[in-house]
Amino acid sequence: MTAVTGESPVQEAPVQEAPAQEVAAPEAAAPLAGNGVLGQPLDSREDPQLLRGEATYVGDIDLPGTAHMAILGSPVAHAKILSIDTKAAEQLPGVLKVATAADFTDVMPLPCIWIPGGVESHFPPHPYGLPGARPVLTGDAVRHVGDPIAVVVAETPRQAAAALAAISVEYEPLPVVTLAEEALKEGAPQLHEAVPGNLNAYWTCGDKDRTDAAIASAEVTVELDLVNQRTINSPIEPRGAVGDYNAATGEYTLYASTQGPHNHRFLLAALVLGIPFNKLRVVAPTVGGSFGTKGYLYPDMPLVLLLSKALGRPVKWVDTRTGLMNSTVQGRDHRQHVTLAGTRDGRITAVRATSYANLGAYPSTIGPGVATALMGRSISGMYDIDAAFCEVYAAFTNTVSLGAQRGSGRAEAAFLMERLVDRYASEIGMDPAAVRRKNLVPKEKFPYDNGLGWTYDSGDYQLNFDRAIELSDYAGMPARKTEARTRGKRLGVGIASYVAICGVGPSTRMSKEGMLGGTWESANIRVHPTGEVTVTVGSASTGQSHGTVFAQVAADELGIDPDQVQVYEGDTLKAPYGQGTYGSRSYSMAAPAVALTARKIKSKLVKAGAVFLGIAEDKVVYAGGKVYEEGNEENTKTFAELAMAMWYGWGLPPEIEPALDETTHFDPPDFNYPFGTHVAVVEIDELTGETEVVAYTAVDDAGNIGNPKVVLGQIEGSILHGLGQALMEVAEYDDNGLLVSRDLNHYALPRAFDAPFFTLDKTTTPSPHNPLGAKGAGEIATVPPAAAVVNAVVDALSDLGVQHIDMPVTPEKVWRRLRGESQ
Amino acid sequence: MDLSLNVNGRPEQFAAQPNELLVERLRDGLGLTGTKVGCDTGQCGTCVVQLDGRSVKSCLILTAAAAGSEVTTIEGVTTPGGELTGLQEALRQEHGTQCGFCTPGMVMALGELVGNTADREAPTEPEIREWLTGNLCRCTGYHSVVRGVQRACSAAREKAPAEPATTAASGQEGSGR
Ligand code: FES
Ligand code: FES
Repeated sequence: MTAVTGESPVQEAPVQEAPAQEVAAPEAAAPLAGNGVLGQPLDSREDPQLLRGEATYVGDIDLPGTAHMAILGSPVAHAKILSIDTKAAEQLPGVLKVATAADFTDVMPLPCIWIPGGVESHFPPHPYGLPGARPVLTGDAVRHVGDPIAVVVAETPRQAAAALAAISVEYEPLPVVTLAEEALKEGAPQLHEAVPGNLNAYWTCGDKDRTDAAIASAEVTVELDLVNQRTINSPIEPRGAVGDYNAATGEYTLYASTQGPHNHRFLLAALVLGIPFNKLRVVAPTVGGSFGTKGYLYPDMPLVLLLSKALGRPVKWVDTRTGLMNSTVQGRDHRQHVTLAGTRDGRITAVRATSYANLGAYPSTIGPGVATALMGRSISGMYDIDAAFCEVYAAFTNTVSLGAQRGSGRAEAAFLMERLVDRYASEIGMDPAAVRRKNLVPKEKFPYDNGLGWTYDSGDYQLNFDRAIELSDYAGMPARKTEARTRGKRLGVGIASYVAICGVGPSTRMSKEGMLGGTWESANIRVHPTGEVTVTVGSASTGQSHGTVFAQVAADELGIDPDQVQVYEGDTLKAPYGQGTYGSRSYSMAAPAVALTARKIKSKLVKAGAVFLGIAEDKVVYAGGKVYEEGNEENTKTFAELAMAMWYGWGLPPEIEPALDETTHFDPPDFNYPFGTHVAVVEIDELTGETEVVAYTAVDDAGNIGNPKVVLGQIEGSILHGLGQALMEVAEYDDNGLLVSRDLNHYALPRAFDAPFFTLDKTTTPSPHNPLGAKGAGEIATVPPAAAVVNAVVDALSDLGVQHIDMPVTPEKVWRRLRGESQ
Repeated sequence: MDLSLNVNGRPEQFAAQPNELLVERLRDGLGLTGTKVGCDTGQCGTCVVQLDGRSVKSCLILTAAAAGSEVTTIEGVTTPGGELTGLQEALRQEHGTQCGFCTPGMVMALGELVGNTADREAPTEPEIREWLTGNLCRCTGYHSVVRGVQRACSAAREKAPAEPATTAASGQEGSGR
């Protein structure tokens, strides 16, 4: 990412960057014929508006006549609802409506569209009857604290909130279970009548017999019991929704903090409300971060629409932070029993994982898939392992529903594998870097079938790994450890490598994975008569500068100035279909759709150019934003001239339609697989047990990068997010199922002083699966930090016999270890 | 009760409930939605505005308690679509904002730090991080914000003709804490 510092006048930028190693994979994508604006660190054009506070988030939308909704969430984790009395609330000033489940009996429950094990058996029919699906409001029982029971709509937000207190609900308490492993035991509290034993899915991948045999006959085996604690993404903007029903036209509009407006339109119109698809418009205004959480369907979305229709006014709901903590999907939450087998000289021969995934009270939109396939198929990481097997028990408990969390699934996988590798290295007395180096999938083996269901597209893992080891001064660590001791600190170093599946994805492949719905992306390019260009995409940004980056893609392909290109997205009325921004897929799914569409425009211009220039088509050259005659550049037409000529449409033969307006639906042949290696160096204070990350090196490979400045920001943010899980973040439930970490006083998010310097670099192996050679980038750097940090902490404490420490690595936990107490 | 405030240089008079928060007055009462609400507990800093020149969390102060004061919100910092301040421009160049939800609060909090930087030592990197403690950002990891502040301070000092042209190099020392 040298380009980033290259243009910075602040010479001593805190990010230390080394020269990037450019590595072209043999199957590199077609070279770009463009003008070179792609790959440049252009300033984000979204930023000025954001810096002036001018962007409109859902909470800023103020439609005339808006009424305000508040949601009554359950105060207890598990109980039967005996009665609900809303009369007193209805009498309060400003209250327009109080509604309960009884008001929505004809509304379908919120569907889960990622059903582990495949959808063939579910499609059709729809997952209407999916066992345990969440109703818009619960009427029979509550299953987690915050489970929505009733709503109030009033003239002001304060009146709506105040009226909640006047609703009286009679509960019959039921026993509570908050851990997946406990929920599966004989006699555990039962959440859903239709789901005996609380088991949503038992899911496996890999070869069990082969793996068991390899482990049974191995020279060395190591085992770990791991807790990948539940965390809360906590985007800084809580969710919100505004419903606006137009009685004159019968059209519904939903403004929501969503990362997938088209998806939400599909789910709401087709699966929940049963209203005509063409009468629902979903608009994502500026969205204040998501990290996976805002792709899910929540009760508030159908509720604001239905209540707007009932009241004849726009209905607005904006969540509080505490509300977010108790309603927006949470992440991770696996308890795992994992085994690794290998030879005495460091060759890994098998890995096996049994994981108990806590799905929470209801299956969220895609939570069950995140907890199974997204985690399990990744567990072998960067290593060439002969036998691997993973099984997941996904269980319901009395906690908030599980969903995606930046790096979801893949971070959990990397954590288990990278902890195992360190444990193995220590068992055989070999350096952890040497063990990793020895087992990396060799370059010649790509495409590489990992035996767990993924086929890695491309990579040079050795190069990437060596770069990280060298940059982090791994060789210098023994000396630094000795030096740290003189200051009362224990220094530890931890490595974590990863492969992250991104670019979701091939629709057919995802259907086999259990995804109900396509996972393609589309883009439309319209060239206006004046030569300006509008790009619309189905994806929707939650802070990834799409307006800048997609303009770069189109401008590069068309050979024009990016300032000529305007990008629109986020409004289903205006944008072509698409599935949205999740799993780091926008740049490897939507951007290729833009590039391919631009190529359609170009090839049409070559055809039309032949007519306008009066030459044969094979003599037409398109370059630098114009067409000209090969060998005679005088005979030329600029992009603007062509745009106008196509608009007039004069003289075009019948096989060339006038105007320039093209669309592409991009469904790649397979996923893409970014990867990388991170090295964390920590210092632990002997007296207080406090862990400080004193150095952090990350070398990631996201294929060809569209805008290094944008990606740099995402990498930095992602690393800190991962460090947060390692050091401080945990969603803690007490025995009664109360979420103790219910606000930001009780849930620690990393602050500015928690971030160490990062030393960043990249390698570049293009993906063969899209025309840009792109791989996912946005969240990939969240995948390894937790493992790197915990490995470093264990390294620092290894002489005390510490073999593992659970996250978050709090000072108290470490302090107890320093005093010789066990976990 | 009837109250008055001077907001972004404009006198405002209104009737307010005694328990009304300043952020409610600004957002709902005056339509100044640049100030954001990100939490219920005074932890996130998205609601920071300047009250008589000092940055405060507007979700932690009653309108009544602010009565008679000068309030500057993000809307008072620039004109719509207008030129960015030095700090905003530096944050733009360093891409110190992603989703932008934390950004107005950051600009208001950092404005106080950067504001008088021309006539003092540039803040060190740990100082900037310390100053940012009250503002949460989940997107950027803060690095680009810190770089933005350093850039803004350098630019401000270069503009100040009396000062010798020192750089923000002191901000680069230390361990990053
Ligand atoms: S809204 Fe004021 S600190 Fe969070
Ligand atoms: S830019 Fe999104 S929270 Fe800071």
